[in-house]
Amino acid sequence: MISRLVPIGVAALWVAGPLASQAPPAAPPVRPSAYAITNVTIVPVVGARIVNGTIVIRNGRIEAAGAGVATPAGATVINGSGLFVYPGLIDSGDRMGLTEIGSVPGGQDTQELGQYNPQNDVLTAVNPSSVHIPVTRANGVTSAITSAEGGMIQGTAALIDLAGWTPDEMATKGRAAMVMTYPRVGGGRRGFRGGAGQNDGADTQNRQVQELYTYLRDAKAYNARSNPVPQNLAFAALGPALRGDVPVIFDVQTEGQIRGVLALADTFKLKVVLRGANDAWMLADTLAARKVPVVVGPLTAIPDGDAPYDAIYANPGVLARAGVQIAFQTNDGGEGDARNLPYNAALATAYGLDPEEALRAVTINPARIWGVADKIGSIEVGKVANLFVTNGDPLDVRTLVKHVFIRGELMQWDDRHTQEYQKWRARPKP
Amino acid sequence: MMRTALFALPLAAGVLAAQTPAPADTTARRPAMPVLKVDIPPAGTLVAITNATILTATHGTIENGTIIIRNGKIAAVGKDLSVPAGAQVIDGKGKFVMPGIIDAHSHSAAESINEGSLSNTAMVRIEDVIREDAIGMYRSLAGGVTTLNILHGSANTVGGQNAVVKIRWGLPVDSLLFAGAPPGIKFALGENVRQTNVPQTPGRAPRYPRTRMGQEELLREVFTRAREYQAEWKAYEGAMAQRRKDAKTAEPLPPKRDLQLDAMVEILEGKRLVHAHSYRSDEILMLLKVAKDFGFRIASLQHVLEGYKIADEIAAAGTGASTFADNWAYKLEAFDAIPFNAALMAERGVKVSINSDSDERARRLYQEAAKAMKYGGASEEEAIRMITLNAAWQLGVDKLTGSIDVGKDADIAIFNGHPFAPASRVEMTLIDGRVFFDRNKAPTLEALIEAMKRRPRANTTSGGDR
Repeated sequence: MISRLVPIGVAALWVAGPLASQAPPAAPPVRPSAYAITNVTIVPVVGARIVNGTIVIRNGRIEAAGAGVATPAGATVINGSGLFVYPGLIDSGDRMGLTEIGSVPGGQDTQELGQYNPQNDVLTAVNPSSVHIPVTRANGVTSAITSAEGGMIQGTAALIDLAGWTPDEMATKGRAAMVMTYPRVGGGRRGFRGGAGQNDGADTQNRQVQELYTYLRDAKAYNARSNPVPQNLAFAALGPALRGDVPVIFDVQTEGQIRGVLALADTFKLKVVLRGANDAWMLADTLAARKVPVVVGPLTAIPDGDAPYDAIYANPGVLARAGVQIAFQTNDGGEGDARNLPYNAALATAYGLDPEEALRAVTINPARIWGVADKIGSIEVGKVANLFVTNGDPLDVRTLVKHVFIRGELMQWDDRHTQEYQKWRARPKP
Repeated sequence: MMRTALFALPLAAGVLAAQTPAPADTTARRPAMPVLKVDIPPAGTLVAITNATILTATHGTIENGTIIIRNGKIAAVGKDLSVPAGAQVIDGKGKFVMPGIIDAHSHSAAESINEGSLSNTAMVRIEDVIREDAIGMYRSLAGGVTTLNILHGSANTVGGQNAVVKIRWGLPVDSLLFAGAPPGIKFALGENVRQTNVPQTPGRAPRYPRTRMGQEELLREVFTRAREYQAEWKAYEGAMAQRRKDAKTAEPLPPKRDLQLDAMVEILEGKRLVHAHSYRSDEILMLLKVAKDFGFRIASLQHVLEGYKIADEIAAAGTGASTFADNWAYKLEAFDAIPFNAALMAERGVKVSINSDSDERARRLYQEAAKAMKYGGASEEEAIRMITLNAAWQLGVDKLTGSIDVGKDADIAIFNGHPFAPASRVEMTLIDGRVFFDRNKAPTLEALIEAMKRRPRANTTSGGDR
């Protein structure tokens, strides 16, 4: 077994070259032609677990997975004895790449001015060098839906892998959804940031709802025209959502908001995904019957003042038992919660969510919701090799992540936290 | 005797009341507001928790163990104990029992947090602004928390006096205070004190200090004043003693009583514990130096996100560290925070606790503590101590609570599985041997859904709504 901090191959790859400049010796771009993780318990998430299996990774994809799979010649072997392989986890809502340090405004691209910004393309602002990316993937989170916040229509959400040199390279689906909010009355529950769509009273809410309807009606009319002049980039950006080609994420919490969204979806024939949705349990059967997926979370939140103490923790279980397709979000706005995605799911299992469904809700369910189940979300031959190796259940905080693969690449332990730990742990006694 | 308090606990309904329906939706429902009956458990009951897995925090794990509670104290713990006649038995079969969780950094139940108008507000007291019906405390109790250190905020260098409480939910506010806890005070360093992350109030002059240098200077200034004040009182008391011996001596004039300086003198005399909000290693070293120069000890560094860089210095000062499990990057001084902080400090001999600073994290501190095992390899018992005994030590109550040992207060959390396992939740929380939280009797979402099913309803959009 390979040690946690010195992944396979790294030592061999660091070949000291002549020092031509003031720089450390570079690692030559030599990559193994293939990896084989052997003797490992494979948890495909779809279908049964495979004990003593082997996974072969080549050209970024899962070439083979199962018991009795041979190790190809020349493959770099990871002995997975006593270990488990899971598909990479998918966070269905955060601000990955858009924010670096909360108190430093220069690093914030989370919120545009104005209420209606459907033309804003989130991928534009995703910083591939954000230090949050390696920190997050180190715990097995390999993909995220990232989007802006604030206002009534925030623009597109992108499904990105947490590795890659450019935003476009990171994107599995650059325009995975349109993000909107449905107005609600009064203050939110999200502390410093404040909930989107908040306002000061019912009259304001009514006005905001009317505005939203009017805006979407105008956008629909615009998109029905051929070659409209002058062009309206904002309305045009809503075309795919209004045609039902991409889902619309609605960040909502209350029953009233959810009912409002369902009515809006009927009016405009939208394919909606509810997100947040702490009160979705009140409408579980309706949502199941209408096949509306719900992205729950963050579960690390406190209920509105009068809700049962466990309402947020128990909501996912109620929804899943009613037949609603659920996924999880961390809503990490740069506080570092995205890596805790599996522990959101764990809290739900303590309050009624089936553990297998919890695992699906951070893997294959979001892959289906975001329309990429042919690429990621499970361990199946032909899929993109987004996966990670652990010594136990990823929902258990005590479990250690040993290796992370994204698109078949073995991630290095080069995240800020591991580096600082190693540096300061070696500090001599003063 | 069972006493009953009535709290109007409207379940899930309040939001709906304020929610105007959307144009196509005219059916907002409003469940009636049930009233939560809070049974206030009698004190002094003889209790036995039997057949449980007991995580003691000091002497390992006891399988199939029994705890006997007499007069609110742990009277016996171990295997093969016989249950005394007349004891109320709590069947611990399949359950895990750990010491009640102690949150060394909370702002729960405080109606105001910051008196930030001055740089030294040592005279204000959190215990004057606690409300006993703050729902955040109840939710913490439901997460196994029994003791809270309710702190003043971090607006100023020397903040107000903290209050250590036990969550005796349902009792009047005075009954919440932890009688054996020594007094304490909040200090704060760094960004929050500098007030550079928040917009300045127009028309209001910025408050000194504005830099970390100024924070040191302010501390040295206030402790210098405190020493002078202390000397004035000593001189006065000396003169009074002299006068008692010799009535012919002139009666001395007492110094003017100063509540702010009284608190500062208590710090100098080691009678008031300092809990210091701090992030960066440099500011922490400064504080430790100031404390050394004035001859007192910092009881705990709060947040201390860069503590791992100077763990040896913290350990040498005999100072505790109370940190987050893994929060980081929410401000510049939190950018070097690493999740290995708790375990690395512990490895270097610091007594470490993991705190919440939030009504949300307080609900699941057991999950946070497990992160010390994942990041840096703390042992299971060390991780348990980080939310129990170590926090008790930092608050000066480790002789009274924080572990499952004979003679201590019976402050206990009972889980349906190992507290660090993913699907575990708190079933019962005891304080002084009294059951203040019992999930079987609590207003859960499940119970609410059952109640709503039984309630006849009219006018819904579809038949299937829950």
